[in-house]
Amino acid sequence: MARIENPLLLSIYGSLVDKILAETSNIEEANERLRELGRGMAEQIYLTTEIVEKTKETIMTREDVAKLIEVVYKVLYDRKPTEIDMESARGSVRISDKDCIWCQDVNLEGMRGFGYCEVFSGILEAILAFKGVEAKVFEESCKATGGSACSWNVRLT
Amino acid sequence: MAGDLERALSKLRFDDQVIGYSLMTKMGRPFVSFSFPDDLFPRVKESISLYKADLRLMTIDTDKGLVVLAPVDDNWILTVLYVPELQLGLAIAKTKNVLRMLEGIELPPPPDEFEESAESNLEVLESIAIQAASTAAEPSAAPTAAPAAPEPEELSPDDFLVTSSTVPTKGEAFSTALSLDSELYSEMKKLYRNFGFDVLMLVDGRKTVGQIADSMFQPTEKVIGLLKWAASKKVVEVPRVDASGEGAPARGLSGRFVKCPKFEGDLSKVRADHVKIVQLCDGTKTTEEIAEAVGVPVPRVIQVLAIYRKRGMKMVGKTL
Repeated sequence: MARIENPLLLSIYGSLVDKILAETSNIEEANERLRELGRGMAEQIYLTTEIVEKTKETIMTREDVAKLIEVVYKVLYDRKPTEIDMESARGSVRISDKDCIWCQDVNLEGMRGFGYCEVFSGILEAILAFKGVEAKVFEESCKATGGSACSWNVRLT
Repeated sequence: MAGDLERALSKLRFDDQVIGYSLMTKMGRPFVSFSFPDDLFPRVKESISLYKADLRLMTIDTDKGLVVLAPVDDNWILTVLYVPELQLGLAIAKTKNVLRMLEGIELPPPPDEFEESAESNLEVLESIAIQAASTAAEPSAAPTAAPAAPEPEELSPDDFLVTSSTVPTKGEAFSTALSLDSELYSEMKKLYRNFGFDVLMLVDGRKTVGQIADSMFQPTEKVIGLLKWAASKKVVEVPRVDASGEGAPARGLSGRFVKCPKFEGDLSKVRADHVKIVQLCDGTKTTEEIAEAVGVPVPRVIQVLAIYRKRGMKMVGKTL
């Protein structure tokens, strides 16, 4: 069993996920509630961390988006994501993380389609909006539901 | 009979994941074939002769794809070649579905001399069957004393309770839904395209909804939506939400979200005073249920779970 990073964050987040699952009527609604949670957290993150100093004021290209994602990862998790893919889908940037912090030690059965880590989708979507980029971010696969890594699709509109 | 046989075989012909098929004799001679590669026949024939004493459904992995071989009756063997990327379970399920369609059909034995793999052999089969039928007594046309059908109840998908742990079974309209020329099939195809067919192929009265979704790499919710629609059309049978609302999920999602401990370690290494608790950790009971069953407070259960968390104990989240 791997050592858990940031147990306090995990226990708070875990209770929030439980509460959302109890209150929502379908998985897509639960996913959206978690994204909303992330969007709400993003303002605090943006105003209190070094993201502003370490990134350009406006984001113009997909490379800029990739760079922003790297900075967000460094600031929040002190590391890089496993991969940032700009090749496989035009108009999207894909992030994958084999060591996702949000779903550590979480095992879900029969909940394929549920994005346990959708909170990060919301965080990213809001930070991109602060930078003038309209995007939809959603979790494509999640380790908690059997994926080999957590991955997010940043669809630039 | 001929129409039924053609219908069963056309199911394979129009399936994108079927490369070819062959109806073969018990000696391994191809009688009716469609796009089945000639170079695979010897290998199939070899398998048939190897296992002929006890031939059952079997699969052969070839470089052209996956071959599924299944005896139809004492005289015939259905052999289907599927695309290589098709999952084994799905290939078997599709073959079994065709076998089910062939179940009601009395196929005559093959003629002594015939041209191998000729599609015209199908007509030969028909004519033999017609001849045999004309000399045999007419089977009873319809089941006797059929009970008066009750007025069909109009049901909607919302009348059903389906969670990831539900085990759907085949309903009275199951075969109809899978018949290419039925209105029900057309309706399903319009709403769900091939997804509906693929899900129904995995309904066998044993797999849970979660297992079906996992094997298809599809969201559980999507499978639940399809099965609720299918239940409203009597294609499958699943539990209903009764009038009082009992059976409906108490709150949220398609079921109640719970976390259940699951022990995958070595039970022989568990301390004697912990065994009663640990052996109930099978991923289906919550800590509260385990506490009640053993007669201890919940914190005691948590205490024991924590001791074994590095020795095979994990918490599994699911909806019940």
